Amino acid sequence: MQQLSRRSALALGAAGAALSLIGISSTAQATPESAAADVAKFAGGKTPVAGKISIELPEIAENGNTVPLTISVDAPMTDDDYVTDVLVLADGNPNPGVATFHFTPLSGKAEASTRIRLAATQNIVVTAKTSKGAVYTASKLVKVTIGGCGG
Amino acid sequence: MADAPKIRVPKTAKKGEIVEIKTLMPHIMESGQRKDKDGKTIPRKIINKFVAEFNGKPLFSADMDPAIAANPYLQFSAKVNESGTFKFTWTDDDGTVTTSEQKIEVA
Amino acid sequence: MRAGIWTAGAVAIVVLATGVMTLAPANSQAKKEAPLVTDGDAAARPWKRYNGWPARDYSKFNTLANLASPPAPKEPRKIAGPIEGDAKKGAQLVADRNRGGSCLACHVMGPAGGANLPGNVAPDLSEIGNAGREDEWLFNYVYDGRVYNPETVMPPWGTHGLFTDDEIKDIVAFLKTLKAPAVFKTALDNPDKRAAPVEKRENLDPLENPGMWTVDKAQELWKQAGSKGAACVTCHATPETQFKSWAASMPKWEPRVGKVLGVEEFVTRHAKATTGADWLMETDDNRAMSVYLHFLANGEPIKVDVASAGAKAAWERGKELSARKVGQLNFACTDCHGISANKWIRGQWLGEPKGQYDHFPTWRTSLQAVWDIRQRFQWCSVNIRGDELPPDAKEYGDIELYLASQNEGLKLSVPGIRH
Repeated sequence: MQQLSRRSALALGAAGAALSLIGISSTAQATPESAAADVAKFAGGKTPVAGKISIELPEIAENGNTVPLTISVDAPMTDDDYVTDVLVLADGNPNPGVATFHFTPLSGKAEASTRIRLAATQNIVVTAKTSKGAVYTASKLVKVTIGGCGG
Repeated sequence: MADAPKIRVPKTAKKGEIVEIKTLMPHIMESGQRKDKDGKTIPRKIINKFVAEFNGKPLFSADMDPAIAANPYLQFSAKVNESGTFKFTWTDDDGTVTTSEQKIEVA
Repeated sequence: MRAGIWTAGAVAIVVLATGVMTLAPANSQAKKEAPLVTDGDAAARPWKRYNGWPARDYSKFNTLANLASPPAPKEPRKIAGPIEGDAKKGAQLVADRNRGGSCLACHVMGPAGGANLPGNVAPDLSEIGNAGREDEWLFNYVYDGRVYNPETVMPPWGTHGLFTDDEIKDIVAFLKTLKAPAVFKTALDNPDKRAAPVEKRENLDPLENPGMWTVDKAQELWKQAGSKGAACVTCHATPETQFKSWAASMPKWEPRVGKVLGVEEFVTRHAKATTGADWLMETDDNRAMSVYLHFLANGEPIKVDVASAGAKAAWERGKELSARKVGQLNFACTDCHGISANKWIRGQWLGEPKGQYDHFPTWRTSLQAVWDIRQRFQWCSVNIRGDELPPDAKEYGDIELYLASQNEGLKLSVPGIRH
């Protein structure tokens, strides 16, 4: 298994300060349009319906480096009616992609949490597909805070 | 092992219960968007895929982009109807695969 | 008596006698005193600023060890005629984060910077254009506000060379256009309505806080023999009980070294004297040991000695130093964490001293790294555009003692987790 040891991962993390605090470039920005194009591709020709999805994020993130995110979709999660895929996008990052979650009836709930990187204040756009072919979408603004003393 | 994934799964559950699973993989998640001191781009190296199975059946998976924070953390749930084994698999850009297993007793 | 002491000191003392560094002379108290290497530095020399920190040279300004800043002007500068600056340029300058964080760090200023998360440390200037202030007064207040208010915490933007005369004229021109209350896009943007942050993460959960992983690492180091053949465990077989409260009593005035030692420097000097390990301050090993030793004392209320003569003098010096103006921005610890505490600088909350110590060393989510209190002090210095001191500087010891005393009674919870 070839991996960074925890120690070198920590050291790299510290050295990371040398480069860019957030780890993703804040110069090149995705646009809401490119995020919309990704949603359309994911939806496969269907028009997503607003609703059914809840997005939990801090209103104001203390920094963009590790922002807690929880998404959940209101669905029965039975063998014949469950959420299959959930696409998470950040429309102000250099690339809008964040993650795609794949659920099964075994999941019990269509809910997942992770921690994400945000280059700046922007919208998180979440789109969900169900086994019955329904497509839902929702978005939420997250403000990434600005530090005091500057550069 | 120093860089082993960290996993939290209940040891026991009732039949039909939905349990919460937390996983964290120590990893820098180098985005491929940072530059080093000499202005050279540091190549991307992330965990791009996570898969969770229960008794060999797909449970939950995630495709991850560089916008997932360092030390990728995933929390999700599982409906357990029988005792068995969770298997978790992380795949690195460089092809490295890490797996870990956890058992649960269902009464 | 003396022979007994030497026996008690056994391993460490005998080995040390062969070392380059000198051991503190044994005295009647030596039996209770931990061996320390008392000379030499506990951190790298010459001290080199961390990778990635601003490389600017601030040697023309005060540090905690040296006075160098230019004096405050005694008289306002005479400005002939009305100021005709470029208000548009001024609007950009007040929001320019490369000039010491921008005016918005402390002031709400109408539409400047899109009214995006301004701070509220200083007065709202959104209607300064209606205040009937003369151009000369506005110019001088920005150039160096101390000519009108010696107590001001505002940086002397002109005297300290952050803005040129022409730039200040542009800023004045912009200020004169400010005639209506700021319009905020969201309630979060209004610093008077923004809710104070609440820290409720499970900082001792390794799935929440990677800082916890250093505890495992320290436990390995504990068993690792140094160049003298001994390891921590040689004398400290049960750290869980032996160090149940020790870190809560640190930092401590150490007469043998003539300064206040925090946990980190103590570890460096004690390990060198006993196991021979080179755990210089601000190395990964030292940080891990510090996290672990604090972790072992979690839940213990902070209680430091400020009563003994040496400690009292150090505390007094720490108090005085915490009010010293430092760096190009000319801030003292007390400017931000006293006068301006519990307010916002831009989108960041300024905490009061109480609560700024009990969680150190802490995991910093913005940097993905563990920082001890000395590195935090160093960053404060550099962030306000002043030169930092080496982490083992005696001035930091004095300030750490003063800070710890202000945190007395708070229970340790280490490693913390902060932005």
